[in-house]
Amino acid sequence: MEFVNPEGLRLDGRRAMEMRQLRAQIGAVSKADGSAVFEMGNTKVIAAVYGPREVQNRSQQMSDQALVRCEYSMANFSTGDRMRKPKGDRRSTELSLVIRQTMEACILTHLMPHSQIDIFVQVLQADGGTRSACINAATLALADAGIPMRDLVTSCSAGYLNNTSLLDLNYVEDSAGGPDVTVGILPTLDKVTLLQMDAKLPMDIFENVMQLAIEGCKAVANYIREVLQENTKQLEVRRGV
Amino acid sequence: MVGLSVGEKRFIQGGIAQDLRSDGRKRLTYRPIYVETGVIPQANGSARVKMGATDVIACVKAELGRPSPLQPDKGKVAIFVDCSPTAEPTFEGRGAEELSAELSVALQRCLLGGRSGAGAGIDLSSLVITEGKVCWDLYIDGLVVSSDGNLLDALGAAIMAALSNTGIPRVLVAASASPDEEPEVDISDEEYLQFDTSGVPVIVTLTKVGRHYIVDATSEEESQMSSAVSISINRQGHICGLTKRGGAGLDPSIIVDMISVAKHVSEQLMNKLDSEISAAEADEDEL
Repeated sequence: MEFVNPEGLRLDGRRAMEMRQLRAQIGAVSKADGSAVFEMGNTKVIAAVYGPREVQNRSQQMSDQALVRCEYSMANFSTGDRMRKPKGDRRSTELSLVIRQTMEACILTHLMPHSQIDIFVQVLQADGGTRSACINAATLALADAGIPMRDLVTSCSAGYLNNTSLLDLNYVEDSAGGPDVTVGILPTLDKVTLLQMDAKLPMDIFENVMQLAIEGCKAVANYIREVLQENTKQLEVRRGV
Repeated sequence: MVGLSVGEKRFIQGGIAQDLRSDGRKRLTYRPIYVETGVIPQANGSARVKMGATDVIACVKAELGRPSPLQPDKGKVAIFVDCSPTAEPTFEGRGAEELSAELSVALQRCLLGGRSGAGAGIDLSSLVITEGKVCWDLYIDGLVVSSDGNLLDALGAAIMAALSNTGIPRVLVAASASPDEEPEVDISDEEYLQFDTSGVPVIVTLTKVGRHYIVDATSEEESQMSSAVSISINRQGHICGLTKRGGAGLDPSIIVDMISVAKHVSEQLMNKLDSEISAAEADEDEL
C-alpha cells in the first residue's frame, strides 16, 4: 500500500514532517483538581488529576515521597468498530504503567510526602498516537492542578514507511506494520524520559526517526506552553490583577 | 463521596424546605443545560450534555444484525453506560461497575420498555430491513465524564440528543431467489435516514429530601435524599418507565403527586432540550 504518494503527501493530506492539528482545553472536569482535553487530529483524550490528597490505602503510603497512580481507560465507542473490552486488559495496564512512570519522573514527589496523586486518562476517540496524546493531556492536567513539576513532559510518535520518516502516525499508518517510535521528552531540560519502538529499523534511520519525533515533542511543548500561558492570563483577568 | 458537616447538611435541608436551594435555584428548577452534537465523528450519532458540573457523552452506533426469532419484526437496541474514573476517583478499576449497571438497567427500563419491546420509547420496528432476516442493531453507549448528581436525567437527555443526531444509512436489499437464502444487502454511504425521535421520552428524577422533593439534585443534595423516583415521560404525556431508588418508603399518594409534578416539569424540559438540540445541530452545520 502506498502511504506517501509521489507528490510527498500522506493519506490524510499531510506532508511527511507535518503534525496533525493540536487542540487543548484546560478545565474539562469541574470536580477534579486539574483536568484537560487534548486532541491530536481525531485522537481525543481527557485527563483528570485528583490530589495531592490523603493516601487511600494506608499500606501504600510513603514517608519520603508522594504516591503517583494512573489509570488508562478507553470508551466503548472510541475505536472504529465498537467493542466491549473488560477493564484492566493487558494493553491498558501497560499503558497505565508507562504514563505513570513518565509522569512520576517529572513530578517533584519529594515535596509531598504522605500523599497521593491520581491521574485518570480517558480516551474518547482513538486514531493512532493515544499514548502520546495521553501523556500530553496528563501534563496539562497536572499543570492545571498546580502540582510542582521539574518540567513539562511532552510526547509524540514517528514512524518509517515507504522509505520516508513520518511524524505523528494516524491509525491507518500505525497499523501498517512499520516501526512506531514513541518519544517523551522534558523539553527545557532536553532529556528523553520515554522511548518505545516496535519492529526493526537500521541504526542510522532510527536516529533520524527519533530526531523527528523529538522535534515533534518540542512543537507540542511550544503549543502546551501557549495554552498554559493563555489560561494563566485568563485566571489573572478573573482575579482582577 | 460527599463529606458534609452537620451544619452544611442542615443548610441544604433548610434551603430545600424554604424553596431556595444552596445554588439559588427553586425546588423545580433545572441547572442550565448545554448540548453539543456530533462530538464523536466515527459514530452514527453522538452528543454531549452538561448540566452544571455533570458532563455525559452518549454515542450511537448502528450495525447490521439478525432480528431475534421471537420478534422477527423488530430491531435490537442495547444500552451500556460506563462511568469514567475522571468523574470520581472511587470509580477506579471495578469501582463503578455497580453504578454503571444500575444506570444501564434504569435507562433500558425507561427507554426500551418491557422484554417484548412493546411500549418502547424508541420505535424498534423502524429498524427492521427485511423481516426475520436483517435489521439494525443500535448500540447506545453512555459515558459519564464528570459527575455532580442527576446522572440519569443527563444520560437520558444525551441519548435523546444523540438519537436526533443519528443518521442511519439507507440499505438496499437485493431480492433473493429463494426465501431460505441470505439476502444480499448494499449499504449506501451517501444516503442517510434521519432517526425519528418524536417518541423518545425524557427522564425526570424527583429526589425527596425531608418532606419536599426537588429536580436535578447535585451530589451534595443527593447525599441527603431519602428516596428518589425517576419517571420517563414522552411527548404525549405518557409514562414510559419508572424507577424508585433509595431505601425509605413512600406513601402511594405522594408517588401519584410526584408523577403529576414530573409530567408538568417534563414538558418544560422537553421544550428546553428541543431548542438546545436544534441550536447544537445548527452550530454543527456551520462548522
